[in-house]
Amino acid sequence: MTITWLIEWVNDSWLGFLGLPGAFILAVIIAGLAIFGLVAVHAIVAVYVERKVAAFMQDRIGPMGQGPGLHAGKWGLLQTVADALKLLVKEDIIPAAADRKLFVLAPFILFLGAFIAFVALPFSESLVLADFNVGLFYILAVSSFGVIGLILAGWASNNKWSLYGAMRSAAQIISYEIPAAISLIAVILLVGSLNMQAITSAQSGTVWGILPNWFVFQNPFTFMAFFIYFIAGIAETNRTPFDIPEAESELVAGFHTEYSGMRWAFFFLSEYANMFIVCGVAVVVFLGGWQSPIPGLMTGRIWGLFWFMGKVVFLVLIMMWIRWTFPRLRVDQLMNVSWKVLLPLAFFNLFGAGIWSLWLD
Amino acid sequence: MKRYFYNIWETITTLMIGLGVTFGHLLRIRKGNVTLQYPEERWPQPQREIGFNLDRYNVIRSRLHVDIDDCIGCLQCSRACPVDCIKIEFVKVDKGLDIGTTSNDTKKRLLVTRFDIDMTECCFCNLCTYPCPEDCIYMTGGPNSRKHPIDYEYSTYDRSDLIFRFSNVDPDQVARLTGQNELKVGGK
Repeated sequence: MTITWLIEWVNDSWLGFLGLPGAFILAVIIAGLAIFGLVAVHAIVAVYVERKVAAFMQDRIGPMGQGPGLHAGKWGLLQTVADALKLLVKEDIIPAAADRKLFVLAPFILFLGAFIAFVALPFSESLVLADFNVGLFYILAVSSFGVIGLILAGWASNNKWSLYGAMRSAAQIISYEIPAAISLIAVILLVGSLNMQAITSAQSGTVWGILPNWFVFQNPFTFMAFFIYFIAGIAETNRTPFDIPEAESELVAGFHTEYSGMRWAFFFLSEYANMFIVCGVAVVVFLGGWQSPIPGLMTGRIWGLFWFMGKVVFLVLIMMWIRWTFPRLRVDQLMNVSWKVLLPLAFFNLFGAGIWSLWLD
Repeated sequence: MKRYFYNIWETITTLMIGLGVTFGHLLRIRKGNVTLQYPEERWPQPQREIGFNLDRYNVIRSRLHVDIDDCIGCLQCSRACPVDCIKIEFVKVDKGLDIGTTSNDTKKRLLVTRFDIDMTECCFCNLCTYPCPEDCIYMTGGPNSRKHPIDYEYSTYDRSDLIFRFSNVDPDQVARLTGQNELKVGGK
């Protein structure tokens, strides 16, 4: 279900009078709304799940709906919906000393960086908005676009904590993008393509007849690359233990200290959208994308979507597990992990994967 | 160099231990949960052991309670109240009718149709309890524990629920007992 299919579908329907440009715009709007719906629903569900996971790990029970009147439903299921409604109607505060234009612009740039990466994610065999040849490169490129929004938010807030947070996040994201990209290159070497569907297709079949032929199981170098990518991915989404840009105990709330209401909600949305992107890329590249874990079992378009979403949700849950287990790294420790550990390992991996692919030939 | 790899190895193994701990807690949430859903569940009230008998208290200023069957509608408590938080209304009953006696064997003449105490206004001065000829208004707990156990937390979802309505007379009863002769003498 690519965007071209959507354009043709609009053009062939009773909306054909719009002509090709009109159909194009309409198709883009439909696709955009669909992605926005996915992002919003994912954020609402993930926030609820995250609060529950956090609570359970700390021997609490998290949000619960109790008492009469308007409350948060059974087990607090409507808690995040209520929070979202509250954020929608909250007062939009722009500090007097802030740079108004940039302050207003920043959350949308950040959100855009996460949002447009969804275009290249293959949700199933046929469900990918734009199946282009540089899919993986495109996702890596546009997801680092968000850091501009982060710096902008920190700068425009005219607040020392925000600025610290923004500078830290710039340093962090730039540092961690390198090991992430290099660990992905190890897989690209083996596949020989940047196309997301080609990478997924390269993982069909089994290894030794038992394990699915996913890159995480295929050879030791890609196995290690998965972990390097996942660690770097957690750092890129600014989540604990790499959440120094918004370290609550040090920087109030980091780059989004001055934001409130809907603008703050956009920061939140983009954090969860980024989680989805990072996990989605990890799933496509290392965990076989929409392929079934047992080859030949439950395959097809709908099942493909199910497997893809299932794997993404699984990785998101692992991210939450990590978040609520480990303490935050100090700034120097963070840089140490990136430059002295992950980067050499990623280079070693790339080297090993290169030799492996030569040996396979 | 050896130290470097040892550090990495140690990091991975110790992180795994941490993940194991949190995952264990995640699985054992039913047993390990420490949260009490307060209004629905509460801790059991501990037995009071203060070294002397509760009767030796003069008063515990907890909550006013009225044994409405003993009330004769004399308005003494309402008049004594410095903040006017006791509202009493009553109806005079026909001469021939008997509406019972109090536990002090006083014949009741008035039917108390309204006896409201607004505990949000109450200043817990206990002044209303002294003039009562029938000892039917009192603070719960302490020396009155036998009449009414102590009420630590009469917390409610709605402020209006803190207006305690003690009168148990329904309008039908009023009409039956008084006939057409509805002589209302308003209290405060």
